[in-house]
Amino acid sequence: MRDGTPIPFVLLEMSLLVVSGPLVTGVIQKLKARLQGREGASVVQPYRDLAKLARKGTVQADTASGLFRAIPVLVLAATVAASALLPVLRADPPTVPFGDALLLLGLLSLARFLMAIAALDAGGAFGGMGASREMTIAPLVEPVLLMVVFSTAIAAGTTEVNALTAYRETTWLLAWRASDFLGFAAILVLLPAETGRIPVDNPDTHLELTMLHEGMLLEHSGPALGCLTLAAHTRQIVTLGLVAALFFPVGLSHGTGVVVVSLAAVAFAAKVVVLASYLALVESSYAKLRLFRVPAFLGIGFVSALTALALRIL
Amino acid sequence: MNPATAARVIDDLGALLLLSMIVIIAASQIARAIYAVAAQSLLIAIAGAVLAAATGNRDLWVIAGITLAIKAMLLPWVLHRVLRQMNVRREVEPVIPNTATLTITVIIVVMAFHLNASLGSVRQSITGNALPVGIALTLLGVLVMATRRKALTQMVGLFASENGIFFTAMSVTAGMPLIIEIGVILDVILAALVMTVMVLRVRSTVDADIADLDRLRG
Repeated sequence: MRDGTPIPFVLLEMSLLVVSGPLVTGVIQKLKARLQGREGASVVQPYRDLAKLARKGTVQADTASGLFRAIPVLVLAATVAASALLPVLRADPPTVPFGDALLLLGLLSLARFLMAIAALDAGGAFGGMGASREMTIAPLVEPVLLMVVFSTAIAAGTTEVNALTAYRETTWLLAWRASDFLGFAAILVLLPAETGRIPVDNPDTHLELTMLHEGMLLEHSGPALGCLTLAAHTRQIVTLGLVAALFFPVGLSHGTGVVVVSLAAVAFAAKVVVLASYLALVESSYAKLRLFRVPAFLGIGFVSALTALALRIL
Repeated sequence: MNPATAARVIDDLGALLLLSMIVIIAASQIARAIYAVAAQSLLIAIAGAVLAAATGNRDLWVIAGITLAIKAMLLPWVLHRVLRQMNVRREVEPVIPNTATLTITVIIVVMAFHLNASLGSVRQSITGNALPVGIALTLLGVLVMATRRKALTQMVGLFASENGIFFTAMSVTAGMPLIIEIGVILDVILAALVMTVMVLRVRSTVDADIADLDRLRG
């Protein structure tokens, strides 16, 4: 045991993330609707969708194996576990070391892998296509995210997210070194890809030509689909939270007092809302890229991240 | 502004310069590449002003002002005008695929930093990463010139390359003599004007772009 955030508090942070994940999606959709001159659904719509899915029965393909049924839960579990590794309110590392940024990203890609496996397992044409597309994009996104984490981790000398955040917090004022600008630029490029949004993917469509992530979910139904949708919401807020932790480590509390913790919650909400409005803005002002143009687009992020690393190391 | 802060700000500006260069290379539309090169020139002007404030070199203020007026405003405006007059396809037409260019970009950046590490004694007056960034910018500008078909995008590459030389010179010498800088800028303006006239003339007389002029006839 070491000094730091007690385990119950970490679990509280984790549940906070999972619970507010759908809200972020709702906020993005609302912002998007307003930017496009529509009224838009209420921000709690994603919760209603989840509740609806939880009530429904499950239908599944005859060809699907038992793995297919287990995977939605596994995906959700991996994503939720990843969310436990993120500092949300308290900067101090947990008393028992859980894992670092590498584990966080690893769990996220494990979830992605499982989802693709399930899509193939059901034997539908759309599932296979969605999986193949998702797996085409993934190797362009995940290494970039890793490189951005590394470029900040090298300065701090650790890959533990809490320690990274704490280190950067102490050097916050004008602490954006040269490589951080490039790293953040890379993040801005790949955020839409990682959260499955325009210009890489379109979350609102079920048209066979345009969908990536949705294609993999087509064979699932009922509570299983609810699990996968909740996992997608959680994945989104975890990604946004990771960006906030790496690049805007302000406002995190160092105690468990009610005032500091609620201040930290407000700060976290503000950071996530800023990043969410960036996503809404991008989604409203760009068209979806042709699939074959996506690598060139994500290449910008790749080059930026690599340059950030070069600035840091060489 | 004390020298340490100035060095850090120049370092940060160097990162942003590299970013603008990546945008120029990755831009799929000519107009965006022009905006990016304008932004890059603006960053160069800011770097000049920062260096001027740090060293107290009055010439640098003049140079920063000239850079701002000519390279960040006048030349992009000229390029936009030509783009409108030429009435061509707005897409950049690269010679090799954009992903290949981006890969070469990475190689060049890494090589520039590597080269910088082996330079040793040359870089006594320069702090941080200004020198490798300048070298990388210069080479990447040449890369843009080499991999683009249209004369307009080649001009964008020329300006970017010139920006790189400018940044290198500024960081190595802490400000070259005013007369040299003005000479360089005049050169660039002249090159831009000559190329503009050439592009428009070639187009209006034979209706071909520079890329089509690759065969000599006796």
